[in-house]
Amino acid sequence: MLTEHAFGELYHRHARAVWAYVYRSTNDAADADDIVQEAFLRLLQTDILPDDEEGLRRYVFRIAGNLMADRWRKRTREKRHEVPSTERADASPRDLDVTRTFAELKPRERALLWLAYVEGGSHADIAESLRVGRASVKVMLSRARVRLRDLLKARGLIKGEPE
Amino acid sequence: MTQYDGDITALEDQALSAFMERLRGAAPGRAPRMPTADVLILKAQLIRNWEAQRRIRRPIELMEPFEIVATAAAAVLLLSWSVPSAFAWVERLIF
Repeated sequence: MLTEHAFGELYHRHARAVWAYVYRSTNDAADADDIVQEAFLRLLQTDILPDDEEGLRRYVFRIAGNLMADRWRKRTREKRHEVPSTERADASPRDLDVTRTFAELKPRERALLWLAYVEGGSHADIAESLRVGRASVKVMLSRARVRLRDLLKARGLIKGEPE
Repeated sequence: MTQYDGDITALEDQALSAFMERLRGAAPGRAPRMPTADVLILKAQLIRNWEAQRRIRRPIELMEPFEIVATAAAAVLLLSWSVPSAFAWVERLIF
């Protein structure tokens, strides 16, 4: 179990990174607030934890990923539509373009791409984070990359026609 | 991202990496609204206390239906035993 000091340090260093991951995956800032809070609360309630900081960071990402997966399943059952992300009035056109392009992907594709490219997660890490099989991650990630490439091609950000 | 697959060329993968890097740097729609670490620690303590109380109360709550059934059965038994003698006593009082 973490000491209060160790938790404070961990939260201070990694909460924003977890929030960015959840926010970009869910495209909903309020959901990101809730999920990150819940993930760190669960970390505090867990008795057996990894010893090193990197392990703890991965553990929080995994909890957050599992919480997101639960929400996606619930929303699929309830057939609820995604809430469009709020956009900053002062955001640069480039930021808006990047954000809107990414928002066109499915939530799970966004999470996969974020973990793979931004967090540099291995297939095993991603599989644990999103509660899917390792073999499935490879296929799902490949599809997500092709989808993103096609979106970028359609916007002229990569040369070539979308396939 | 270095794990290439057949569908994406190395050049396209570079473009995807660059895009994801831009996304990482892009400002979010709004700033995170998260509690401080101290608030989370306090919340976790409250949840832990509440869970402990729930664990203590659980056997009592589990036995509650049995207690109600036993009390009702005892009441029925007592009534069936005492009603005839009560009638006899009232009859003696009147006549």
